[in-house]
Amino acid sequence: MLELENVIKTYDELRAVDDLSVSIEPGGIYGLLGPNGAGKSTTIRMIMGIIHPDEGRIRIFDEPFSEKTKERIGYLPEERGLYRRMKVLEHLVFLGEIKGISSDVAAKRAAEWLERVDLDEWADKNVDALSKGMQQKIQFVSTVLHDPELVILDEPFTGLDPINTQFLKDIVIDMKDQGKTVILSTHLMDQVEKLCEKICLINKGKKVLEGDLSRIKLDFSMNVINLKFSGDIKVLENHPEVEKVRSFGQDLSVTIKEGADPAQILRAALDKGKVDRYEVGEMSLHDIFITKVKEEGGEVEDETLKNS
Amino acid sequence: MKLLKIAKREYLQRVKKKSFLIGTILGPVLMGVMILAPALILNRGGQRQTRLEIVDMTGSISSELQESLTDTLDDGRMMFDISPLEVSGRDEFEEFKGELNRRVSEGIIDGYLFIPSDITTEGKAVFYGKRVGDIKSIGRIRSELTHSVVSRRLSSEGMDYSVVKDLIEKVDLKTIQVEKGEEKESDFDFLYFSSFIFIMMLYMTILMWGIAVERSIIEEKNNRIIEVLLSSVKPFDLLGGKILGVGSVGLTQYAIWGVFAAGLSAYGLSMGGTIAKFSAFSPVTIVFFIVYYLLGFLFYSTMFAGIGAICNTDREAQQLQTPVVMALAFTIIIPMMIIQNPDGTFATVISMIPFFTPIVMFMRINVLTPPAWQIALSILIMLGSIYIAGQVAAKIFRIGILMYGKRPDAREILKWIRRA
Repeated sequence: MLELENVIKTYDELRAVDDLSVSIEPGGIYGLLGPNGAGKSTTIRMIMGIIHPDEGRIRIFDEPFSEKTKERIGYLPEERGLYRRMKVLEHLVFLGEIKGISSDVAAKRAAEWLERVDLDEWADKNVDALSKGMQQKIQFVSTVLHDPELVILDEPFTGLDPINTQFLKDIVIDMKDQGKTVILSTHLMDQVEKLCEKICLINKGKKVLEGDLSRIKLDFSMNVINLKFSGDIKVLENHPEVEKVRSFGQDLSVTIKEGADPAQILRAALDKGKVDRYEVGEMSLHDIFITKVKEEGGEVEDETLKNS
Repeated sequence: MKLLKIAKREYLQRVKKKSFLIGTILGPVLMGVMILAPALILNRGGQRQTRLEIVDMTGSISSELQESLTDTLDDGRMMFDISPLEVSGRDEFEEFKGELNRRVSEGIIDGYLFIPSDITTEGKAVFYGKRVGDIKSIGRIRSELTHSVVSRRLSSEGMDYSVVKDLIEKVDLKTIQVEKGEEKESDFDFLYFSSFIFIMMLYMTILMWGIAVERSIIEEKNNRIIEVLLSSVKPFDLLGGKILGVGSVGLTQYAIWGVFAAGLSAYGLSMGGTIAKFSAFSPVTIVFFIVYYLLGFLFYSTMFAGIGAICNTDREAQQLQTPVVMALAFTIIIPMMIIQNPDGTFATVISMIPFFTPIVMFMRINVLTPPAWQIALSILIMLGSIYIAGQVAAKIFRIGILMYGKRPDAREILKWIRRA
């Protein structure tokens, strides 16, 4: 469906995308994740043909990019807006038309969509009469109005209220059920954990990790044990199978060495103290990202990510 | 054709706006006021009665003036209300002046005329008054006073004024413009006037619609719709569609004005107006007008589009567009030079510089048709310049429209042009 091969894009001194190769299969929801400034938007703009890669190759629908390709993709940019002085229905028809569908089809579908999002009474109102939340709905509708095979959403949840967040998730799941492909780009990694089947983590323009989300989770989670422990934590810290202990009061997050048996650690803890809770932990995507970046000697610069 | 879709939206959004209707109707009205107002104001000055007192040392000229200054105003009143003032001599006049000046200041009279006894030999008189700028009234006084004095001089030499007047009658030199072997009566004032209206229209519409393109791009950057558009259409189609759409709005406006003008001139003709006066608005003129409007608009709007692409606010754009606007404005401060010598080196050279071609070449064509090769060359130069401007603007546009925040400096823009 979509292939990036050794794509490089440099702005002045900054290498925004650094030798990135990604292959996305048709169908399902694909997460393109990474902190702000990781190169996600640049990558997407290159996919959309808005900017061109300095090096490398991009193929969509198994063919090189052409203007016709744009008509098969629905794109919701991070920087998005509408003409304020246009009527809602007129606006949707215009956006449909420049995606290559006839004005009749566009008008019919737009009317259906407006009904679905409860904005049918606003069809003949100017866009600037709509609330911000309503305008966001119009933007989602315009992204899928031409019934694209591939939908790319860049930071779609930024600035959304809970209702619109849910609404957008519904649309995304709807698209997936119809057999379409959705690419979701965001820095809010934990928010898409439940949506995506496959992910690609990028940092500073480079790919950090790629693959099935469930597989990745499994790989990393075997290494962490979450304990509620009262006793001397030195027992755990000095244990030969333990890599690292993070303590939050009585709540401990213990990272064990590769191949170690979690049960052995539990036994050691029970010997020297009291254990109220024990689980082989789920590592959040966010923690996986940080672990992985550090493993490779990299740094995570993004402040929002550190604190999240 | 996505370019056409962009153009269609741009066109309909503008034409449907109330401001378009108002601008289209008010434009010619305002222009009419601008042209007619000075004439009307000048005329009104002559519509006031001048109360004049005459101190006449010769004893006879004042009565002659009373007989000759009998012009009437539009409302039927006399232009001059003259009362002679008896003074015995120059000394008494000097004493009396204070009183006369007081009367002028208080508005009892508008002025007084002092005619010395030696006026026939020295040819000097003095008018004291508040409204010394009232050219029309003072001009009348001067010419009748001159008439009286000259008659006196002539009769002292034994000649009769009316005989001499006939003898020194000026020759009536008629100007006939020869164009393509045909004779055409010409009238400099009319030629100047009609050319000026046309070039003002060209100037205003090119500027107005060119800047409309610029603003529309800035608006799309500001409301963040530009990236949505670019994910559907090529930057070239977006730029081209915008220019085409806005340019068509300009043409629509002309069409509306054209229909009105045709209606008015038809009305004028039916009321007995002269056909000759309307010959300047010949179909050929109209065709060239449209051609040079399109060329000028395409050239300037492309540049304005480039400026719009690198600016984030109208204020920023205003600074950057100043040199471009000045180049265009230059063409409306030189029409006198062009009209007086439309085939001169200055006019010819200036009309081949793309910044000035649309207006200057049109002006030359309107005054005196230049050789066909010059017209063809000017059109070619314009097309070439539009192509180059378009290439450069497209490159700036491509990168600039996605830039928010800091405005790029000249060095950076040059880099874009070279790289893209």
